[in-house]
Amino acid sequence: MFARLVGESFARNPRRKILTAAALVVGMAVATATLTIALEVGDRLAEEFRSLGANLVVTPQSDTLPVEIGGVDFRPVDEGAYLHESDLGKLKTIFWRHHILGFTPFLDVPVSIAADGEKTPARTTLIGTWYQHDVPVPDDAPFRTGAASTHPWWKLKEGRWFADGAEECVLGATFAAKHAGEISIGSSLRIDATTSETSEKQTAATLTVVGIVSTGGAEDNAILAPLSVAQALSGHPGELRQLFVSALTKPADALAERDPKTMTPTEYDKWFCSPYISSISFQITSVLPGTDVRAIRRVADTEGRVLTRVGTLLWIVTLAALIAAGLAVAATSATTVIERRSEVGIMKAIGATNALVAGIFLAEQLMLAVIGGLLGYVLGTGLARVLGSSVFGSPASPRIVLLPVVLGLASLVAIAGSLIPLRRAARFDPAPILRGE
Amino acid sequence: MFARVLWRLLRGNSGRLSVALVALISGSAVISALLNLQLDVERRLAQEFRTLGANLLIAPASGGQFADSGGAAATLMDEQGAMTAVAALSQSDVAAAAPFLYLRARAGGTQTVVAGTHLRELQKLEPSWKINGDWREPEDNSGRCIVGQAAARILHATPGSELTLNYLGRAAKVRVLGIVESGAEQDSQVFVELPVAQTLAGTPHQIGLVQLSVNSAPQAMAIIEAQLRAALPGAEVMPIRQVTDAEVRLLGRIRLLIASMVILILVLTALCVLATMAALAMERREDVGLMKALGGPISRIVALFLAEVSVLGAVGGLIGCLAGVALSIWMGRRVFGAAISPRWEILPLTVALMVAVALAGALPLRLLGRVKPAAILRGE
Repeated sequence: MFARLVGESFARNPRRKILTAAALVVGMAVATATLTIALEVGDRLAEEFRSLGANLVVTPQSDTLPVEIGGVDFRPVDEGAYLHESDLGKLKTIFWRHHILGFTPFLDVPVSIAADGEKTPARTTLIGTWYQHDVPVPDDAPFRTGAASTHPWWKLKEGRWFADGAEECVLGATFAAKHAGEISIGSSLRIDATTSETSEKQTAATLTVVGIVSTGGAEDNAILAPLSVAQALSGHPGELRQLFVSALTKPADALAERDPKTMTPTEYDKWFCSPYISSISFQITSVLPGTDVRAIRRVADTEGRVLTRVGTLLWIVTLAALIAAGLAVAATSATTVIERRSEVGIMKAIGATNALVAGIFLAEQLMLAVIGGLLGYVLGTGLARVLGSSVFGSPASPRIVLLPVVLGLASLVAIAGSLIPLRRAARFDPAPILRGE
Repeated sequence: MFARVLWRLLRGNSGRLSVALVALISGSAVISALLNLQLDVERRLAQEFRTLGANLLIAPASGGQFADSGGAAATLMDEQGAMTAVAALSQSDVAAAAPFLYLRARAGGTQTVVAGTHLRELQKLEPSWKINGDWREPEDNSGRCIVGQAAARILHATPGSELTLNYLGRAAKVRVLGIVESGAEQDSQVFVELPVAQTLAGTPHQIGLVQLSVNSAPQAMAIIEAQLRAALPGAEVMPIRQVTDAEVRLLGRIRLLIASMVILILVLTALCVLATMAALAMERREDVGLMKALGGPISRIVALFLAEVSVLGAVGGLIGCLAGVALSIWMGRRVFGAAISPRWEILPLTVALMVAVALAGALPLRLLGRVKPAAILRGE
């Protein structure tokens, strides 16, 4: 009997329900879209932050101090300790290996350069690195990485990048401008490296210039060559001085700041299994013993702060969206109930109890909420895809978890919106309502 | 007459109108709060990005940008000229500007990089550094230094200890104020006050580099670069692309994200208010039917309704806007730890929007003019 009453009431006079249903669909679509984006934004922005480049730097523990100004190491090549190139594949074996997006080794060699037929050599630094290099990973496919992924702001002005392992080099823009007359793309350079101020030992190489790069940093005054060339020149085959690592991390919170030694086992597990910059650097130290792994604070700090800020901001905006959606639904269901006061009057006049009237109305609202919530979820997921691809370039993936949340929210606001007018309707005397007063 | 009827309508219908008023107030509160936040968010985020440190360098044109001042070939520039040019920039765009003079000096027996700068400015330039010790110290002595953590480990420096720096036969004694952790090359440098480094190098009033942390919006950056180039013809002005590129890109993404969410919510809120007003309008259908049956002009009823909703819209918009400003101040505190300064130009905008939406709600009433009065009066 109750079901039939509700069914009849639901099926007849659809015009009155359209408003509530439309409000539900639009409101829940916006709620779904904002929630989907809010859930995804942390990961997406963290990826975007990798355009800042590396956030970790690995250096050998040594007893001499790097004499480094503006990113160029002025230490003679036979001073200080080195990292081993053959160990680098181990980076992709740590717990958070999939969060290691790239790494680039550096080996700086002070050199003097002479173009063909030039008498006076120019002194500069040769920076040995990878542009794109396949690193063998134990028990896995090789990992392609290098400056292309960790230094995205390096822009080639002319020519092409050096081929990995070839006897080629790329000039920094300022250096190239200074020697525009003598050196150009295609010319071959004789490079002399004095391995030490005291020893007579000299190594030399002949490199072909294949491109000019602009980095907006100290590299503009240097020349860039494959790591293997720098290793041969410095007399340190298979070794490197510094490794820049770009890792996807989670903003630091109270747990991340603590010293792992003081943690309880459960806290330690939680810390180890969260991609904090401190836990990733700890894991790198354990596969590369004898190294210092440091977070580049400028990058890590900014990333953490901005991500936290934007995250909070987005949750507040999402909250505003939820409130607006709730209000829209509540307001429209309130007005539909008010509109149907004469129906309430008739029902009460023929002997319906307040509870029965309220039950019929609420059941109807619930049905509307489920249908509207479902449609809204579908629409909102589509909206989130569009938003995701316009903001981040790839669509936001739909979250099925949100469906029950949205349905619950829709039912809650639809019922809350009708409760107040229903309570008022319960107090009405049927007679004046039916007279239309 | 019109005014009296209007007044009676507003007073007599207070129950139904209060639902509409609540919708209008909350709608305009959400709209004004989000607009306020949206206008302020970019400025706030740009400030957050200043923890990235310097994004612009001024260096002598002919020298290497980080030239070691000691060698005969090193080129330096005049400190006063460079700093005057920096001081002439719009100060609201400059977060920090520090002159630098680098030396490859010896501390004890270890070769190390000594950077002469203004320590006070250095702290503003690099807010991300973690310091063990204190930046602050009574102004009187300039013989103080900040040591990078790698350098401190090798030089056995602790806050309060003394270091002797040697360079080409000259020596300077400095006291360690604190140890900094930067995670970058600065970890192996020793920072002293600029005059100490200049005396040590024997190059008074000369500097090798100025690092600036400036507003990195592309237009602001272009103006700053142009001004500096004009003021310092002998120097090279170089943006640090690693920082500026990433910052512009990230700010663009975040701006787009917030803007699209805000627009979505604005549309939703406007729709919500519209629906409420439309429902309110539909309650007048019997009045319209009666008027039509009597042969009178329905425009009188529409006009009355329009006047009613404009009053509602204006009142709701005003109250809501004030609530929205309070809300945005709270949001600012919550998100950025600092209150957002309210923008009053939002007030007329929000009120106008609310009145417009409320008026748009009267449209269905207009359409009723076409139907037959009997059908309306029968309640169909």
